[in-house]
Amino acid sequence: MTVDLEQFHAAFYDESFEALATMETTLLQLDVGAPEPELINTIFRVAHSIKGGSATFGFTDIASFTHSLESLLDALRGGTMSVTAAVCDLLLRAVDVLRALLRARQAGQPIDAQRVADLQFDLEVALAGRSAAAPAQPVPARVAPAGARAPSQWQVRFRPHRKLFVHGNDPLRLVQALAAIAEVDAQLDAQNLPPLAALDPEDCHLAWTLSVRGPIDSAQIQQIFDWAEGDCELLLQSVPAEPAEPAEPVTPPVAVAVPAPPPASPAAPSPPAPLDTSAKTQAANGLADYGSIRVSVEKIDELMNSVGELVITQAMLTQLGAKIEGPQAEPLRVGLAQLERNMRELQESVMRVRMLPISFVFSRFPRMVHDLAQQLGKRIELKLTGEHTELDKTVLEKIGDPLVHLVRNCIDHGIELPAARIAAGKPPAGTVQLAACHRGGNIVVEVSDDGGGLDAARILRKARERGLIGPHDTPADAQILELIFRPGFSTAEQTTDLSGRGVGMDVVRRNVKELGGKIELASQAGRGARFTITLPLTLAIVDGQLVSVGTETYIVPLTSIVESLQLSAAQISRISAQGEVFACRGEYLPIIRLHSLFGVEPRARALHEGLVVVAEGDGRRVGLFVDDLLGQQQVVIKSLQTHYGHIEGVAGATILGDGAVALILDVPGLIRGASGRAAA
Amino acid sequence: MKNRSRSPSARATARRRSPAPPDRVQLRACCTLAEAGELKAALVALTPCAGPVTLAAGAVERIDTAALQVLAAFVRDRRLAGRSVHWDSPSTTLIAAARRLGLSTLLQLEGAGS
Repeated sequence: MTVDLEQFHAAFYDESFEALATMETTLLQLDVGAPEPELINTIFRVAHSIKGGSATFGFTDIASFTHSLESLLDALRGGTMSVTAAVCDLLLRAVDVLRALLRARQAGQPIDAQRVADLQFDLEVALAGRSAAAPAQPVPARVAPAGARAPSQWQVRFRPHRKLFVHGNDPLRLVQALAAIAEVDAQLDAQNLPPLAALDPEDCHLAWTLSVRGPIDSAQIQQIFDWAEGDCELLLQSVPAEPAEPAEPVTPPVAVAVPAPPPASPAAPSPPAPLDTSAKTQAANGLADYGSIRVSVEKIDELMNSVGELVITQAMLTQLGAKIEGPQAEPLRVGLAQLERNMRELQESVMRVRMLPISFVFSRFPRMVHDLAQQLGKRIELKLTGEHTELDKTVLEKIGDPLVHLVRNCIDHGIELPAARIAAGKPPAGTVQLAACHRGGNIVVEVSDDGGGLDAARILRKARERGLIGPHDTPADAQILELIFRPGFSTAEQTTDLSGRGVGMDVVRRNVKELGGKIELASQAGRGARFTITLPLTLAIVDGQLVSVGTETYIVPLTSIVESLQLSAAQISRISAQGEVFACRGEYLPIIRLHSLFGVEPRARALHEGLVVVAEGDGRRVGLFVDDLLGQQQVVIKSLQTHYGHIEGVAGATILGDGAVALILDVPGLIRGASGRAAA
Repeated sequence: MKNRSRSPSARATARRRSPAPPDRVQLRACCTLAEAGELKAALVALTPCAGPVTLAAGAVERIDTAALQVLAAFVRDRRLAGRSVHWDSPSTTLIAAARRLGLSTLLQLEGAGS
């Protein structure tokens, strides 16, 4: 039987990407010249963890690269090398390469071996002190700098559980990791090793007592054994430096034992130290930090689905309860009201599980701003506020790209060069601010800068050149700013790598709208610009307008609805290219007959006998012809895509209180479909 | 330990009469948990061999604790049974791994590679 280590790969990649994000953030916090030792330790630990994990899985390319990186970090940690701007830059590039290596591994794609080799060489050269990136001095023998942590001695009792191997852990790798930062002497305990014939090669029967000497603290030792958390018992004791005989421990034993059951075989009687102290001590140390667990999104979605079903069942019971008469009716209705309250609380709790802080998106910006500022010769200070504001994971994943685009625009077009800023009486460093907060049932994200602002006259000129508005149109200032969201609009004098390619703001607006949100822009010439994005907290529930068409009920998301009206015959016309249209506030809007689209027999065929819901999507408006409006309610979206594939014009489905299935309309999709049919 | 003194033809004859237990195992370049079962089977097949057995370990490039544990159980069983084990050119990887885990004595690898 072989162990499929691949089952651990996903967790390794997740953790490594998170660790790299930490490393990147920490690198950007490093104060060149006088770095905080703890920050360097943090970076070192990240590299060390990735190295250990990649070695376990046989990712030798990653392990080898990380080894070089770790050596350089060790030199920084030991004070034999200075933290310079060039070293920071080198380390940031190493983060990029590691990320690329991990992504290539994850996707099963070939790695850019040359890029890896080049940077690994740079790291090694820097370490040897011959690079411009490092101080040009011979690398001295490693000497603990003044004030460095005094060498200490630890005794580590390490007793793996039987299934340690099959959980992907290897004591050899752990001890090697420990030996990389301290002197280690391993005493083997093989008392429980059965005869070969009885040995299951996948069970671990060995245990060790490790004598560890060096400038190392208990947290560093524990961190190494974090990999085997749940798969071993670990007892740490600090040992006085001088006495030959084991004395009373200087600090209480630190047992990092684990909740998993102990091995089936009796424990070796030899260790005198109390290995069962774990229960008393674990709360007082590292284990207290494990206040979270990693759960797959699939499981949460399943939970969400189950709650959605419960909501539907509860709605059905409420409807039934309303019809019941007799002495039991009142207590039943009280019970149903209680059930409804409990359901709402349960639904909100599950929704919160899907919520993640927006810092997951914001964390990419310090690096991006750093790099772009260097590239453009600008000085930029990035301010982040409200990073802990939470929003639904799906929204979070989709808002990243629009925000990147906005920040790039601020840096490229907004913030001026230092000389221009000084000439304008501003500080040489510009400020880009990203702020997030909850407002009502929405989340609001603002991207602002204190740059030159948008030049309305220039936007107007460009819009006229591109025929976006007529030569004699004189729109108001707010309408002029809106022009930048039109497809193909760009005022950049020259195309740069960053922006100015004429694609961008229209895509940003479209992405935000697809999330059910909106984007607004405010600008003051010479003072800066501010984009305000308003998003729903979740995509799993939508506020909908229920409409009836024949015997069917459809749901139109409220965010897409502009107004509803009953048409008079005079408003309706027929245009050969567009089919039926109606006059609405000075323009003609096409009509989509939902009964024709979905093949339903309607109650009203004449347009003036039914109702028209004016809906907007992708910047265009249409009239949806329906029989009647029923009411508004929050509905839980259920995907149809899984079973039926993508259906243009349908965002999903939901189950109503009476058990009927109703389709939720995707207005932009309906409009695209209608345009396609009209064009054909 | 190198090849035994018997000539190939003598060994072939012995094999024809009654299948003689093998007395040598060639360790693979990769000796990890994934190969530990196979390694155990190869070593168990050596158990009946009353004479010295040889573990050819010059090719070992990667080894983990699981494989070392199997080797340790084998060497210890042989020693307890009063039978000997010889290492043929153990690789530096193997020696270093055994030392790191304090297994050199149990594996009878002290002095190897030094």
